[in-house]
Amino acid sequence: MDIIKWARIKSPWVFHFNAGGCNGCDIEVLASLIPRYDIERFGMILRGSPRHADVMLLTGTVTRQIKDRLIRIYEQMAEPKFVMAIGSCAMSGGVFQNCYSVYEGADKVIPVDVYVPGCPPRPQAIIDGAVKLLQKLAAGK
Amino acid sequence: MIIEILKLLIIPGIFFLFTLALFYQWLDRRFLARLQNRRGPMHTGSHGTLQPLADFIKLLAKEDIEPEAVDKPVFRGVPILLSTISITALFFIPIWGVKAFVHFEGDLIFMTFLMTLIAILAFLGGWSSTNRFSTIGGLRAAMQTLGYEVPLSLAFIGPAIVAKSLSISKIVEWQASTGIWAIILNPLGFGIAIIALLAELEKVPFDLPEAETELVAGWQTEFSGRKLALLRFAFDLELVLAAGLITSLFLGGPAGPFYNIPWVGVIWFFIKTTIVVLILSNLRGLFARFRIDQMVSGCWKYLVPLAIIQIIFLQLVLG
Ligand code: SF4
Repeated sequence: MDIIKWARIKSPWVFHFNAGGCNGCDIEVLASLIPRYDIERFGMILRGSPRHADVMLLTGTVTRQIKDRLIRIYEQMAEPKFVMAIGSCAMSGGVFQNCYSVYEGADKVIPVDVYVPGCPPRPQAIIDGAVKLLQKLAAGK
Repeated sequence: MIIEILKLLIIPGIFFLFTLALFYQWLDRRFLARLQNRRGPMHTGSHGTLQPLADFIKLLAKEDIEPEAVDKPVFRGVPILLSTISITALFFIPIWGVKAFVHFEGDLIFMTFLMTLIAILAFLGGWSSTNRFSTIGGLRAAMQTLGYEVPLSLAFIGPAIVAKSLSISKIVEWQASTGIWAIILNPLGFGIAIIALLAELEKVPFDLPEAETELVAGWQTEFSGRKLALLRFAFDLELVLAAGLITSLFLGGPAGPFYNIPWVGVIWFFIKTTIVVLILSNLRGLFARFRIDQMVSGCWKYLVPLAIIQIIFLQLVLG
């Protein structure tokens, strides 16, 4: 059992889903892949297909329109799967809170494991969030 | 009998190849990362050496989703066949001495056949997924084969003409006994083989079948869990196969000073394949992706004539 847990902690592949943000968070997610921050150091690779990924990097407000698609994409991921809500929008609706079409946080729609605050959060914060997720995994889900 | 089975399982066999495949994946990733001014995997084992193993185990332990619409027998068969074919092909490469584990006259032809099978399996994998991205990826994989297959086979003929044999082991033996590496007479063939093998491996300038910016993950989109682990493993084995083939056909295989002493040949083989893998990753870091039409027409317009010129040159020199 332990070797599986070790493998899971060491190779969390991510994929990126923008639920309808302003693209600020997405740029920061991409920035965490660039040479300066390089999350591949922790074994994280950006995959295109949700079927290959373990961690969903969810950015942007979850709107009523995107809800069904988000759930569908979430269901396409293979177990065990984790979600990181990145940015105030994904956490709580951010500046769009109280808007008629906006859910106040992604956790109203799918389970979220780690929240990364900021508008947009810095790449360091995203990496910190990822490390927190891995620590949570190491401590046993 | 028991010794044969042990050989098959451990030393020139599956366990050794598995280790080599994971090692070259790590080397490729690290080297590419350094070229891009990144660090690459760092925290899994010493300098990330265990990263490919961690990926492999994690994928094995993940849920294995089979969408309802897929063509189940083909979809299940493709990853298994891909990895077994790659392992089979690797048994024809002389690693521990000038003779491969399996060899017969004409195994070079059999090798090209196996490599075509690998490409066809990629197409079948994409087609059986019945996903629009997979289908396009699979079609591109088949299309790409039309481009690189002919120059690749022509490039393989060069060393065969030089050594007057169609067996990989014989070609290596010839190079070892005369001390002349086939690359000296086949410089063009060497370059063509490297380019065509990049396409065979679906690496960056020719990664059209899995272009992730256009096609999500190409023909692999629907594979998950165990199947994806086998697919990635097969690709790692193919990297070893490509490097091993180039080493045996053009760089003399395990030949080198003192190659007759046990363990020295394998060290030479290891050094040469490492250099080939580094060349492949270097090209990967240098280029951007071609379009599919550029790729196919480029292969026919430039690579095929160059390969023919190479063969004419050989005939003139050897007279
Ligand atoms: S949190 Fe801020 S930067 Fe990120 S998507 Fe929302 S508004 Fe844009």
